Amino acid sequence: MSASPTTQHPPAEQTLILVGNPNVGKSVLFSKLTGKFVIISNYPGTTVEITTGHSTFSGKTCAVIDSPGVNELAARTEDARVTCDVLRDHPEATLVQVADAKNLRRALLLTMQLAELKRPMVLVLNMMDELDKVGGHIDVRKLSELLGIPVVPTIAIARTGIHLLEKSLDQAAVPASLTASLKTQQTSPTVTTNLPCQEEDYQQNIERLSYINEILAQVYTRVRPRKPTFAQQLGWWATQPLRGTLLLALILYFTFWFVGLLGAGTFVNFFENAVFGRHINPIAIRVVDAALPFPHQHRHEASEYKLDIPLAPGRGIELFSSTQQVLSPAYTIEPGAAHGWWNAVIRFIHDFLVGEYGMITMALSYGFAIVLPIVTTFFLLFSVLEDSGYLSRLAVMVNRIFRAMGLNGKAVLPMVLGLGCDTMATMTTRILETRKERVITTLLLALAVPCSAQLGVLMAMTARVSWGAALFWVALMVAIAFVVGWLAAKLHGGASSDFILELPPMRRPELGNVVVKTLARLEWYLKEVIPLFVLGTAILFFFDKLNLLEKITCFGEPIVTGWLGLPRETANAFLIGFLRRDYGAVYLLDAATGPNATLSPHQILVSMVTITLFMPCIATLFMIARELGKRTAAAITVFVFVFAFFVGGLVHHLGRWIGL
Amino acid sequence: MSAPNDYLHCPLCGFEFIKQQSACERGCPLGKYCRLVCCPNCHYEFPPELRVVSWWRRLFAPAACPKPPRDLFSLSELNEGDHAELVRLTSEKVSRRNTLAVYGLVPGSRLVLQQKRPSFVIRVGETELALEADIAGELVVKRIAAEGAANLTS
Repeated sequence: MSASPTTQHPPAEQTLILVGNPNVGKSVLFSKLTGKFVIISNYPGTTVEITTGHSTFSGKTCAVIDSPGVNELAARTEDARVTCDVLRDHPEATLVQVADAKNLRRALLLTMQLAELKRPMVLVLNMMDELDKVGGHIDVRKLSELLGIPVVPTIAIARTGIHLLEKSLDQAAVPASLTASLKTQQTSPTVTTNLPCQEEDYQQNIERLSYINEILAQVYTRVRPRKPTFAQQLGWWATQPLRGTLLLALILYFTFWFVGLLGAGTFVNFFENAVFGRHINPIAIRVVDAALPFPHQHRHEASEYKLDIPLAPGRGIELFSSTQQVLSPAYTIEPGAAHGWWNAVIRFIHDFLVGEYGMITMALSYGFAIVLPIVTTFFLLFSVLEDSGYLSRLAVMVNRIFRAMGLNGKAVLPMVLGLGCDTMATMTTRILETRKERVITTLLLALAVPCSAQLGVLMAMTARVSWGAALFWVALMVAIAFVVGWLAAKLHGGASSDFILELPPMRRPELGNVVVKTLARLEWYLKEVIPLFVLGTAILFFFDKLNLLEKITCFGEPIVTGWLGLPRETANAFLIGFLRRDYGAVYLLDAATGPNATLSPHQILVSMVTITLFMPCIATLFMIARELGKRTAAAITVFVFVFAFFVGGLVHHLGRWIGL
Repeated sequence: MSAPNDYLHCPLCGFEFIKQQSACERGCPLGKYCRLVCCPNCHYEFPPELRVVSWWRRLFAPAACPKPPRDLFSLSELNEGDHAELVRLTSEKVSRRNTLAVYGLVPGSRLVLQQKRPSFVIRVGETELALEADIAGELVVKRIAAEGAANLTS
């Protein structure tokens, strides 16, 4: 999908770097030039990685590098830093600046900054169709003359003008006239890397813009007044108080239906009961039994399966249902069987693969049957929202609410992504500008934002408690997020960043792009998650074999039974929850809703609260340590642990006291 | 009751005068029983307010000085749909000013205020930009006619 710029390839005779403002279609142009699929993103700042491809133009092999979108050439944000690094690492490269033709003014600001690097460049005016739609016209020849570089109009999505661009690459020129026009000379001809913005930088930008106005006066005309399209109208509605809230509610409900009911209900049911329960697990058990025979008899258990289209929680259109006896991993040893060491070894391997804590029967079936469907539906929806340009508008809607937590609206992206996967969300906190915001968002993600796998399980658990209790759980999580966020914002030094956010135009998401993006995220997720499931199960398996589970349960018993008021077996769930908290939740789910449920509704509520607040999965911990450093990671970990048990116990004792 | 030499305040034109200056017509049939005073500036007749009330007003009421007409506003004073030209940025933070500059928002650029709640949304050229209220308050603008803003540049 993406490669570092140092990937081994036949030496290219020429290097092209695509540079441009965010959301101008650089990535589309890149894929048309190199024939490679890439992630195209509509939310400023989601593609931090750079993509490199290869192509041949007029007989020359060419390396093409796609850089993150920047608004100016100063390394003040993560994206800009990457772009500046790319520019510095390839001093001989030809620059291809991609511009949104509608937004020529901002593009030219970047052109002038690029011109100061004194490198051959070509300006691409992309999205000419959209310019036409808003009624603008650009005199391309005149612009080319004024800038002293080739200017190519394109519509990258439709492949219009790509051929012209390939031909004009040979004529790439250094835009000398641009730099000469400025009164104040750039102090250094290289890319600026100083972080704090200086007064001179600002003055230079003002000067550049006034020069750009002179250019625009000669080349840009507006022929007819704008008439808002439906997408534009929708974009305006999305940020208005009333219509925006309605739209938000609609989108939230659809998300709940699509991920919570369809993904976590219908699809999980299908994969867990029909695919794994009836086919994969029994086949695996038979194969292992045939390969590693030892005297034992697997039990059979009834498997109920129902395929339905959900409408509301607990209601749906039933399409198909059946009950069937299937082979279960639980088994009995035939009495009087030989107890040789050979049998013991075989049994050990057998259990490792298809036992109660087996790789296939537990790790893979949880990983693929429960987590995968939920995560897939979530990522699919997230990609659609991201490509439509709605996420930035969501940030506008929630900015005030997030301000109460010491964050600003931009933090909504990691927070929403956290509902899919906290680990991935922790990584995307990079888009936030100050460390303070990154720390608070990470803390809240670790504490109060349940990931999709966990959400599915938690939703199943809410079915076992009253509506009131479920609402209490949601309200408590929201309240905790606010109180902890507010406190953290007060206690953590440093300033919050300004909320100045560009709203990209609303567009209809392209199916191909959404699919590619979802697949890329899933690939990442599977690579990270399945090994962790296997690792977690393996640790659990060895603990079980060594009877350590029993001992650790004893150790954790005073807290779990005394303070939380839960059965001692649930101590296991918390232990597993340390390895993966959704895993722990699944374990609790079995105790809550499984065939031999042991938990009362009150206990379910207590465990729901505790497991939601509990230590995020171990992958999140590693990610926090990577992003924020070991000390902060340790502090967050300790806080989350103590806080989860504290609040869980509080809920238990208060519930007892009130008499629920 | 108001004393004879108390300052009176015409509620119609805002003129301030003392009771002796009251522009009562000579030969008014109501004579000394009349409780009304007449503003020498606009000849509006009104009952003088009680001394306690006027004390109260002087103590607590906002200064009634008419606002001088002005052509400069902070962006947050504008209405939704207004077109404006940015005059200056009062922000101390140069980084904030520069961030706005790279979006094309520098003194002289024209903008349209699209909405004020829940956040400010402005359009500069073809860029839609969301701003927080306190940043919007730092933008000093002057109103311009809608036609002028239809062109991209100044």
